[in-house]
Amino acid sequence: MKKINIYALLTFLAFFSLVSRSNAQQTTNDSLVQTIQLLEVDHDNTKTDIELIKRLKISGYIQAQWQMADTAGAVTPYSGGAFPIATDNRFSVRRGRVKFAYENEFSNFVLQIDATEKGVSLKDAYIAVKDPWAQFVTLTAGVFNRPFGYEITYSSTVRESPERARIFQNLFPGERDLGAMITLQQKKGSRFDWIKLDAGVFNGNGINPESDTKKDFIGHLYFTKANKSETFKFGGGISYYNGGVFQGTKFVYTPGEVLDVTQPGLIDSTASNKNSFAKREYIGFDAQFSVQSPIGITSVRAEYIQGQQPAAKSVNASISTGTLSNYDTYIRKVSGGYVYLIQGIGQTKNQLVLKYDWLDPNTKVSGADIVSKSSAGKSTGLGVADIKFTTIGIGWNYRFNSQVKLMAYYEIVKNESTGLSTVGLNRTLDTSKDLKDNVFTLRVQYKF
Amino acid sequence: MKKLILLLLVLVAVNQLNAQKLKIKGSDTVLPLTQKEAEEYMKKNAGASLMVTGGGSGVGIAALLNGTTDIAQSSRRLKLDEKIKLQDAGKAFKETIIAYDALAVIVNPSNKVTQLTREQLESIFTGKITNWKEVGGDDQKMVVYSRETSSGTYEFFKEHVLKGKNFASSALLMPATGAIVQSVSQTKGSIGYVGLAYLEKEVKPLKVSFDKGKTFVSPTVETAKSKTYPITRPLFYYYLVSIEKTVSPFINYILSPVGQVLVLKSGYVPLK
Repeated sequence: MKKINIYALLTFLAFFSLVSRSNAQQTTNDSLVQTIQLLEVDHDNTKTDIELIKRLKISGYIQAQWQMADTAGAVTPYSGGAFPIATDNRFSVRRGRVKFAYENEFSNFVLQIDATEKGVSLKDAYIAVKDPWAQFVTLTAGVFNRPFGYEITYSSTVRESPERARIFQNLFPGERDLGAMITLQQKKGSRFDWIKLDAGVFNGNGINPESDTKKDFIGHLYFTKANKSETFKFGGGISYYNGGVFQGTKFVYTPGEVLDVTQPGLIDSTASNKNSFAKREYIGFDAQFSVQSPIGITSVRAEYIQGQQPAAKSVNASISTGTLSNYDTYIRKVSGGYVYLIQGIGQTKNQLVLKYDWLDPNTKVSGADIVSKSSAGKSTGLGVADIKFTTIGIGWNYRFNSQVKLMAYYEIVKNESTGLSTVGLNRTLDTSKDLKDNVFTLRVQYKF
Repeated sequence: MKKLILLLLVLVAVNQLNAQKLKIKGSDTVLPLTQKEAEEYMKKNAGASLMVTGGGSGVGIAALLNGTTDIAQSSRRLKLDEKIKLQDAGKAFKETIIAYDALAVIVNPSNKVTQLTREQLESIFTGKITNWKEVGGDDQKMVVYSRETSSGTYEFFKEHVLKGKNFASSALLMPATGAIVQSVSQTKGSIGYVGLAYLEKEVKPLKVSFDKGKTFVSPTVETAKSKTYPITRPLFYYYLVSIEKTVSPFINYILSPVGQVLVLKSGYVPLK
């Protein structure tokens, strides 16, 4: 009986152990399934978070440079700014950019800041929304590059010369403006995806607050094509600007239009001129060509712009301020442009650059005709703002990697010899001969 | 003892250096081939580790540009813009043709059409012909499938078969070649194009003619190898010169007789 009891007990214990183990196994399995389910949820949440984080893109670059001018106090406003009176060489941070972009499928947000030793300034602040149906229309609003020509939108990180051509710095200082723009372009793979139209209205005041009632129109129609084997590509465009500049006084001059009269250049001084607008109008043409050959990739780019520029007596650049002007208006016929030749050296990290650019701020006069007083002893209204400049740039770029680029660039700047003996522009200049304003730039760039 | 430890450390370091960890990304067309080659290569080289992903030729080349892949697999040559970007990044690159591929035009097996000329294909994929009865088939509306614009296969088909003309706006763009095979197999009246290696019995490959209907050729490895099949193209690997030593062992393996046998077995066309 005892034996039976012992067997029964052992059997019971064995059975209980098996059941317990089975239950434990079941519990473990349930726990594992639960853990896996939790991990799956965690994974999905993390994946969603990463997808959201990936939409935010942060990029930026710094351009640190050393420059050497022909002489101390060289007036080089188009080579990164004039040199101080007692300085012929300087270190500077030309650009220090950080860009935040948040991109969704059909919209994006961009904010770009520039921080250098001169201060912190806003470069871009815009939103762009694309129509989700045909993906043909994009609306952009805020502060962004003016859609005029090619070089304005060509990034400074990849540009082969230190600065944009003089004509662009002159007509579009800071490149950006406040406004709204529509872009029309068919989505990739469509029949006319190689044509693009940008057209918008802007304050016409740079990134400064609007100060008048007038809005400026800017448009750029552009195309780009490549051959079947993609060994060469070419593009071209036409741009148009139509706007107005507030006239702060009743005096409106067209210097160079008429000489040797009682009040040369003064076309109108009627009272209604004050608080009206002078026409600001440009037309531009751009063309680009790149070809691959055994010696490397060769690129040629060129632009030409002409038009009418209302500005001030001693300043021919577009004046951007947040307040209404109170100075006399000087209207000049302007033209300018540039030609680049860029040659990569095989597949090496080297690239050679040759650039010619010019700005004629007043096409009605040239050379010795630019005098401050006519033969009759009357003021001509002409001065430093009417002098034509040409620049030949010779450069070498060395791309260490995708982050670091070294640039050595020499600019030979020529001005036309005028009949002006000396003109004052913060300092005395003798423009009867070529000014000492050649500049050498050694720049290192880091981008991420 | 110290010398022994030093020797062991050197051996470990050398072993680590020899251990290949390669990332390969890009063309969906090349993907099955690279995967098979990588599997075999890793079996023969214990220390090697290869990670192969698709996404399209454009995706692979973009990854090569931003440094997230060692080899970009591509079914098209680099574009000039991509070369300029690589140059701007100071990256010298090399190109190697690893095999050839034939593009097969496929239809649903229920379709009675067996062959088409290039001109007919152009009209179908650009939207001029929209019903099968116009090319000898049933009175049935066509459903055109294509790859996405980032695909090298898309660009090759557009240039080579459509002579640069654009696809019809009604064409359905698929994210992967496998999706085209699946869609065509399930949709009556559908037509698409895929690499030879993707051919399955669920879809019907068509004979094509590039001489205005004089001769029609089936897409097979043999016809592609003999160059009688007209829609063939090279498949590329792109890599940076700076890591040539790292990628060479694997590329040399694919180019070797053993690797080329695998090319054939995988449904592609060997170099010789």
